Amino acid sequence: MYNSLSSRRNFIKKMAQLSAMTAAAAMFPGILFASEQEAGIPNSANLDWKKGPCRFCGVGCGILVGTENGKAVAVKGDPNCSVNKGLLCVKGYHQTMCIQSKDRLTHALVKKNGKYVKTPLNEALDIVANKMKSTIEAHGKDSVAMYTSGQSTIPEGYVASKLMKGAIGTNNLDCNARLCMASAVAGFLTTFGADEPMGCYEDIDHADYFITWGNNMAEMHPVLFSRMLEQKTRRGAKIIDFATRTSRSSTASDRSILFEPQTDLAVANAICYEIINNGWVNKSFVEKHCNFSKGLTNIGYGTEDKFNFKDKPEKIDFAAFKAFLNDYTPEKVEKYSKVSAKDIKYLASIYGDPNKKVVSYWCMGMNQHTRGTWMNNLVYNIHLLTGKISQPGNGPFSLTGQPSACGTAREVGTFTHKLPKGVVMNPKHRALAAKIWKVPVERIPAKPTYHATEMFRAVDRGDIKFIWTQVTNPLVSLPKTSRYRPAMEKDSCFVVVSDVFPTPTSDVADVILPASWHIEKSGLYGNSERRTQHWDKMVEGPGETTPDAWMTIEVAKRMGYGDLFPYSEENHVEEIYNEYRQFHEGAKHGMAPLEVLKKESGAIWPYVNGKSTQWRFNAKYDPACKEGSDFDFYGKPDGKAVIWQRPYEPAAESPDAEYPFWLNTGRVIEHWHTGSMTRRIPVLHKAMPEAYIEFHPDDAKALKIRDGENIKVTSRRGSCVLPASVNKRGLPTRGQVFVPFFDENMLINDVTLDAFCPISKEPDYKKCAVKVEKA
Amino acid sequence: MPIKSYLAHPKTGEKQTLINALSLLNGCEVIPATNQDVVVVVTETSDDASDVILKDKIEHIDSLKLLALVSGFNTPQN
Amino acid sequence: MKKRLGIISLFVLLFIAFITIWNFSYQQGLEEGYIPVEESTSKHYLPSEAGVFERSEYAVEYSNMPVDKNHQRLLKDYYKNRAYHGAPPSIPHPVKEMNLGENTCLQCHQNGGFVNKYDAYAPVTPHPEMINCRQCHVAQNSNTLFKPANLAQVKAPKVGVNNALIGTPPMIPHQIQMRENCLSCHAGPAAPKEIRVTHPERVNCRQCHVPTDRVVSDIAPFTRTKSDNNE
Repeated sequence: MYNSLSSRRNFIKKMAQLSAMTAAAAMFPGILFASEQEAGIPNSANLDWKKGPCRFCGVGCGILVGTENGKAVAVKGDPNCSVNKGLLCVKGYHQTMCIQSKDRLTHALVKKNGKYVKTPLNEALDIVANKMKSTIEAHGKDSVAMYTSGQSTIPEGYVASKLMKGAIGTNNLDCNARLCMASAVAGFLTTFGADEPMGCYEDIDHADYFITWGNNMAEMHPVLFSRMLEQKTRRGAKIIDFATRTSRSSTASDRSILFEPQTDLAVANAICYEIINNGWVNKSFVEKHCNFSKGLTNIGYGTEDKFNFKDKPEKIDFAAFKAFLNDYTPEKVEKYSKVSAKDIKYLASIYGDPNKKVVSYWCMGMNQHTRGTWMNNLVYNIHLLTGKISQPGNGPFSLTGQPSACGTAREVGTFTHKLPKGVVMNPKHRALAAKIWKVPVERIPAKPTYHATEMFRAVDRGDIKFIWTQVTNPLVSLPKTSRYRPAMEKDSCFVVVSDVFPTPTSDVADVILPASWHIEKSGLYGNSERRTQHWDKMVEGPGETTPDAWMTIEVAKRMGYGDLFPYSEENHVEEIYNEYRQFHEGAKHGMAPLEVLKKESGAIWPYVNGKSTQWRFNAKYDPACKEGSDFDFYGKPDGKAVIWQRPYEPAAESPDAEYPFWLNTGRVIEHWHTGSMTRRIPVLHKAMPEAYIEFHPDDAKALKIRDGENIKVTSRRGSCVLPASVNKRGLPTRGQVFVPFFDENMLINDVTLDAFCPISKEPDYKKCAVKVEKA
Repeated sequence: MPIKSYLAHPKTGEKQTLINALSLLNGCEVIPATNQDVVVVVTETSDDASDVILKDKIEHIDSLKLLALVSGFNTPQN
Repeated sequence: MKKRLGIISLFVLLFIAFITIWNFSYQQGLEEGYIPVEESTSKHYLPSEAGVFERSEYAVEYSNMPVDKNHQRLLKDYYKNRAYHGAPPSIPHPVKEMNLGENTCLQCHQNGGFVNKYDAYAPVTPHPEMINCRQCHVAQNSNTLFKPANLAQVKAPKVGVNNALIGTPPMIPHQIQMRENCLSCHAGPAAPKEIRVTHPERVNCRQCHVPTDRVVSDIAPFTRTKSDNNE
């Protein structure tokens, strides 16, 4: 690694340098030069650094990618990005390494007589377009579907929506964000009438307490967690971890409180009970800005096909809400939540103290929950009752897991019921979409069709005969893949998969399209704090790889919708974004113009008069608020947020004598979701080569299970064999096992249950009943 | 071919500016200290005349407070 | 006569009692040894990886600490009293034989500090909870060998070559069992100069630095029955 001192000249130079260093050391004892610690690292001075957002999670860190001779050779945190201030996590630093993987999909592959044949992209796109057209002719519009992603860029999501809803005229479009953010969306809409968090990451710099609900931020949102730790050491801010598993975050927190799976509903209600009974309610805030409502109860779990549910909200008053909470005294809840009444009162006292600023963070623990929408509502209840919302350092904050779950899935609206602005059920929203898309309004159907789980059930039933997946790997990430893998293999459905690498999903495809990776195309993402981020293409992709947006456009053209997609290949990102911006014009959701996004490391919408809006619904910061108001929840017609009466209901499946353990699934810091990218990064693979099943040490002892032993975990749906992990990274509570889902060789989702929240339709990956035995 | 090394002291808070300015100059290698406000500069020029010019250029950088010569070498050209 | 009868019956009674008791205890002795197992209530466990945060309360102090240039340790010295990298270091200073298993060692090695006598900073142990120190750490009382030997030399990891890409955070080139607590060796005045971290206040070390020493056996490929023939 060291440069050999081949020439005398180099030697002299080195001498000169050393003598200067020695002189410096005499003047400043203990001086350090980077070269001593980084000897061997090649000089990075000649690199060309380009800015963009990180490819991975929803935090949306700014990165700088160093390129040399057309290859990405280095990544560093963007010091000018307010999200991460120059810091990244181990995945971020090494992200570009995956694109050089040898098994990269570089050309289209078409299955002919059971074998994949390398095919020119043009021909492959012809096949896709013809198949889509002929399927529609033979079986109707609703026999074709598209399943996209919270990793699709804004233009990719936009053209997918325009093709399906505007051109073809079917709502058969859903995305993998259904599996991660749907409950957050439903929670926001039911409580505030407007999606996405009101606060921003700057809350971290102001808060006195961080309460994380079922959220291992140290591994899943590491850069935000670092910012919290910084506040902890510098300012004495406190982190309280409320979870079902002792994770890295728990051990770094000031207090770790463990609860029994599903009982978070009861604990949240108990906190509200305490707040009300101790007189900690911010009365003037609640009177001025809140309504009370209740919905249906015993709402089911959606495990059967064609499950349908519609909530019936009913207004109630404060007295009724207070009476309802009498079932949730800390003493009653303590019995089944296994959270001591003392701890519940402690949590309530933090929220109730008017002099303490509190931010609540959550992600999959609350969203992937058969009562996910309720759980989101309940945390909003706590913040609304105490008036701790929409102010710097005070507020509930729903984190996302995908880089554009907000920007694309939620804002562009790649869900079956969504349009870029509003929902398909609303005639006004349909009219606006039809106007901008220049299509007849009747073409956009008013009824939503399949959400993610139901879409794959429809594939299994044979109702969907053509499906195109983009930027996602459902046969690793769906729940109950033991049903949906055979479903996708059926001949009744023609499967098109666009991806960068071969995955278990591309393995069942009829046509595989080679997609460009992140920095091989231009694009836009939107992160958890409503920040829209743009990047320019930095390197050329290999072979015939093409941006997903452009492949969608090419197929649309081949199907005869060319006039609706008048974009140019080299400039389509800009043209599409400018068209899309029209949907959100106005003070409530205005998006920053592209010129701004090109210059800055993202901007937070609503972007009004050249300024990002950091705290929505607070008149001090948000120009969309009614004049003369202090807070205005303008998502609701009367400007009032809703405090929901939501009870505790048990999980869809709980441990019993035959299946005595809870199964909880999740992620690890080294890998991102299904691992198709991160497992191809040598550093990350070496650090975490395979999945594992984590036991509580007492359970391991009782079952005589040693660390590293192979364990078979079985549910009513399927089984999976993994090595045991005892007392290493995390500890589930007793009676619970934890498995990360990144490993395509150990498909834990064959075991999970496809029960979902009836309101949001988001599956619960965190709770089902399993048994374990030595394999 | 003169090779010289210097210690460059930046004005308070302008270390990065100084580093940036120095790295723009041809024939100038910059080794900043990571924990002190001082930068090692090694210059390499083809002849004495250009050495004087380079030194002049360095001394005219605004963020520079003090430039101290540490060592100088000269190699015959061949 | 009566008296004699009384004495005899007393002895008979005693004899019967003896037989009964002896019999009972003999029977007892035949049973297998059995110690009732009581299910112990769950202890408070912490995952072993928690160690990374153990010294984080000193993180800010570490970052503000001036560097004592005259007493810096070098990596080369660090390895000097280890048989191979990863081996427990031997004790390079005289020690008393007393107080084994108590906190004698920890007085200096729990938090470190300057020791005048040795003109050096005491290194901080990454596992202060294990107090039977001299189970693994032994004194160096002789510089000679019993018999000469050809000891295999294990190369210790080098500094500055553990980055996967230009400028990315170096990976952890050593195993971390019992060394989960990064700051104990990588921060403070006793940390070897070359591996002293420039940003101890970051605390969550393993956010960016992950181990690379794991023995990775080849992962059996996913049975990609169909689409693997991408030539």
